[in-house]
Amino acid sequence: MATETKPSETNSSAEHIGKWGMVIDQDLCTGCQACVAACAMENNISFVGEEDSGYGRSMHWIRIERFWEGVYPEIKMTPNQPMLCQQCLSAPCEPVCPAYATVHSLAEHINLQVYNRCVGTRYCGNNCPYQMRSFNWRDYERPKPLDNQLNPDVTVRQRGVMEKCTFCIQRINKAEDAAKAEGREIADGEFTTACAQVCPANAIVFGRTDNPESFVSQLARIHGHGVKHLEELGTLPNVTYFKGG
Amino acid sequence: MSDKFSRRDFLKLAGVGAATTAIVTGCGPASRYVQREPYMKMPEYNYNGLSTYYATTCRECAAGCGLVARTMQGRALKIEGNASHPLNLGKTCARGQATLQGLYNPDRVTDPIKRARGSASAEKMTWDAATQVVADALKKYKPDQIAFLVGTAPDHLFDLIADLATATGMNAPVRFGALSMFDARATLSKAAENLLGKSGLPFFDVGGAQMVFSFGANFLETWLSPVSYTRGFSVLRDGQTKRRGNFVQFEARMSATGGKADEWIPLRPGTEALVALAIGRLASELRGGSLPRAFAGVDPADAAAKSGIKLETLKRLANIFAKSTGALAIPGGAALGQSNGLAVAEAVLALNAIAGNFGKPGGVFFSALAPTQTEYQRPASAKEMQDFVNQLTAGKFKALFVHGVNPVFELPASLNFKAALQGVEQVISFATFPDETALESDYVFPDHHGLESWGYQRVATGASQPVLSGSQPTVVPYYNTQATVDVLLAATKLAGGKFAQALPFKDEVEFLRSKVAPLMSEADGFFSALDINTFMAYFQQHGGWWKTSDGRGVPNVADILNRDLKGAEATFAGEGEFFFTPFVSPTLAEAGANKPWLQELPDAATTVMWNTWVEINPITAEELGVNDDDVVRIVSEVGTLEVTVYRYPAIRPDTIAMPFGQGHTAYGRYAANRGVNPADLLGANFNEAGDLAFAGMKVKIEKTGKVQPLSRLESIMGVYGVGMGKE
Repeated sequence: MATETKPSETNSSAEHIGKWGMVIDQDLCTGCQACVAACAMENNISFVGEEDSGYGRSMHWIRIERFWEGVYPEIKMTPNQPMLCQQCLSAPCEPVCPAYATVHSLAEHINLQVYNRCVGTRYCGNNCPYQMRSFNWRDYERPKPLDNQLNPDVTVRQRGVMEKCTFCIQRINKAEDAAKAEGREIADGEFTTACAQVCPANAIVFGRTDNPESFVSQLARIHGHGVKHLEELGTLPNVTYFKGG
Repeated sequence: MSDKFSRRDFLKLAGVGAATTAIVTGCGPASRYVQREPYMKMPEYNYNGLSTYYATTCRECAAGCGLVARTMQGRALKIEGNASHPLNLGKTCARGQATLQGLYNPDRVTDPIKRARGSASAEKMTWDAATQVVADALKKYKPDQIAFLVGTAPDHLFDLIADLATATGMNAPVRFGALSMFDARATLSKAAENLLGKSGLPFFDVGGAQMVFSFGANFLETWLSPVSYTRGFSVLRDGQTKRRGNFVQFEARMSATGGKADEWIPLRPGTEALVALAIGRLASELRGGSLPRAFAGVDPADAAAKSGIKLETLKRLANIFAKSTGALAIPGGAALGQSNGLAVAEAVLALNAIAGNFGKPGGVFFSALAPTQTEYQRPASAKEMQDFVNQLTAGKFKALFVHGVNPVFELPASLNFKAALQGVEQVISFATFPDETALESDYVFPDHHGLESWGYQRVATGASQPVLSGSQPTVVPYYNTQATVDVLLAATKLAGGKFAQALPFKDEVEFLRSKVAPLMSEADGFFSALDINTFMAYFQQHGGWWKTSDGRGVPNVADILNRDLKGAEATFAGEGEFFFTPFVSPTLAEAGANKPWLQELPDAATTVMWNTWVEINPITAEELGVNDDDVVRIVSEVGTLEVTVYRYPAIRPDTIAMPFGQGHTAYGRYAANRGVNPADLLGANFNEAGDLAFAGMKVKIEKTGKVQPLSRLESIMGVYGVGMGKE
């Protein structure tokens, strides 16, 4: 990371707690890719084909990482690590955008990507220590009638635009609107992101991290050994990992 | 929406939809379907921006998971799991998620067609003419000259054909699916018959166990009911409400399931039975008492030598198994697909007797039979399929109807299904997609996609209660397709006589009602109703009917250990120096390759996308002088394939592995001519239960000098070098 920024000593503790967060239990993740598929279906993500994906241009907003430890026969697959935008509270992608397309949502405490501001400099992608931004290198074809499944709640992106995980902000907004209309707070578990919803192993849990009673906060407390990736960079990620084993 | 439809286009589209509805329902109510409306026009019962949700059943495999389809303006937008469905509790696998890419696949069969076999061009027909073709075939040939080959889903169509066959003297429909072949279901069922008192699918309560020993069972990928078993695994691992359970996997090639194990034991292929018996013997000795007859015949030192596992490792594992509360042993996958597969299944099942877990939480049960079912209906084994192919070749059948299965692709090429079709006068396919079998048919009368269909599926295993999972159309049929049940009903009416009498139903819905109605008098339903209309409304609303009581059977294991169990090693066909282990791609399986997003999902173990690879241990690769992306020729006794090398660090140096799922020659633009099909290498070798010995071959590797890079996700990962371990 180029930046030397460290979390400011003067930051109040409230600023260290996001609004929405996720815990991912790597001991449970089986690497089945259901979350990757669900994310693509929910968020109108383009598939890029064999050649472009071979060049690393695939558009996964979430990917399962696995590494190897040791050599045969004492070899181990490290616990699968679903990696997605960490929705950093102090995000390295944000200050580098010349077009203010990569901005922080004050209301939701997540990182937004404003597609119609994005001019495609890819500075944010270069600056993301998690490598979790994907760039539309082309207008990827979606032959008819595949376009029928496009989710009308999610913008379709074009060539030259950077995109990334939004914590399914369309679902957040929908739930918040419904709660507001009924004059209540969103109940814990009322909605969840596409990846958490589909996970057959219940490895992903999404919810309010600013509410100590929410399931996601309780899990973080019970486990007590949560890891935030590359925390030393001072990014203040909103995703907590429980290492397997 | 990125689309620009003209008003004229919309009217055309709506017209097609209306016409289809009229045909499909016959004289039934048009309200069977919610019309797909133009983007700009709202149905009256809908609010702008609000979705309608329909409960239905997944047809990507035969497990029968409940789905809820989110639809808006008559379009299906997203598939979710049905949270109240007892099998999957709101979850799905990747294939379930991508089912929409089948529904809206650009390469579906859009109309009934007639073609010269194997020809890419085809002539469109009307549905009236198509129905007449079916009726003529039924009338023209003697009942025993007509054969139906159907897939493992949906069950309602199978029931209709079975009823028709019983009433008219036709051959009973043959069921087959590549997944059940690779699951080795016949072997499991036969082992249960020999050891547990009756045939049936055992259910392994992984979630309730504390120590799972899995011999080749890929239960986190495609085995039996993966979503349900993954939930079991999640409960096993849960360290909050109980102690975290452990898991040991015995297999020659680390599968995605094996990657999750606490300990992976790479044993020599073919020695699984020996190892299981040796662990049984050592564990029995640790427990004291007299040595059971089942384990007496095995010498642990011999087992250790033959399997390549150190004797102290065997002793340590036996100690763990003997001392653990909640020990569970699971046989499955490639371990059963060998010449001694039945012996493996029996030896591993017998291990559970030491744990004494039969019929107890965390143990072995018989799967709950679906409502109104009296015994487990097993799909045809590969051996039975060979018999069927022989009958086809011999010209026993004049007409063959195929639905829901793609035998030209799924069966080993050595069974010669494609050539056997020459012995059949008329081949009629009901395929939704232009697959290889449809290409070799005279007619294709496309069925609706699963999300456009009525039906039900019996949950064969995975849920503790009896479940009948219901399907209903979530969208209006997109193309000029027609439900196969409706086609058969119309054709039997045209054929008249005993055919018409056998199926006295107006349409598919009426047939469905007749099958669902008996559930009203069943006890313990989670809902019931006094009249069929209300019952069917609930059935559709909830996505099926299930009991609230546990339907799992307790095996009869009185003298399970008082018998001789064989520990013989497997024999391997072919001359090569490498054991060959084909495995089912968890994301593509037998029919996923035409869905582009499934193609772009990285494989869990190798992260390869869009192609086929062969996994070779890096040590072996070095000896052979091949590297990643080099193309090698794999030679088995029946075929050769050229495939790209992936140096896989977690496989025995004497074993190579290949995923099954690619290598289509037809099946749409995303599947065709991509990768290779390992079934082309498989010989017609079977185990005692009739399952294919798919993991019972030895093959040769030859260098080709060609290079074909694989598209893989991992090449862009590890920018920080953490854990990359690039040798």
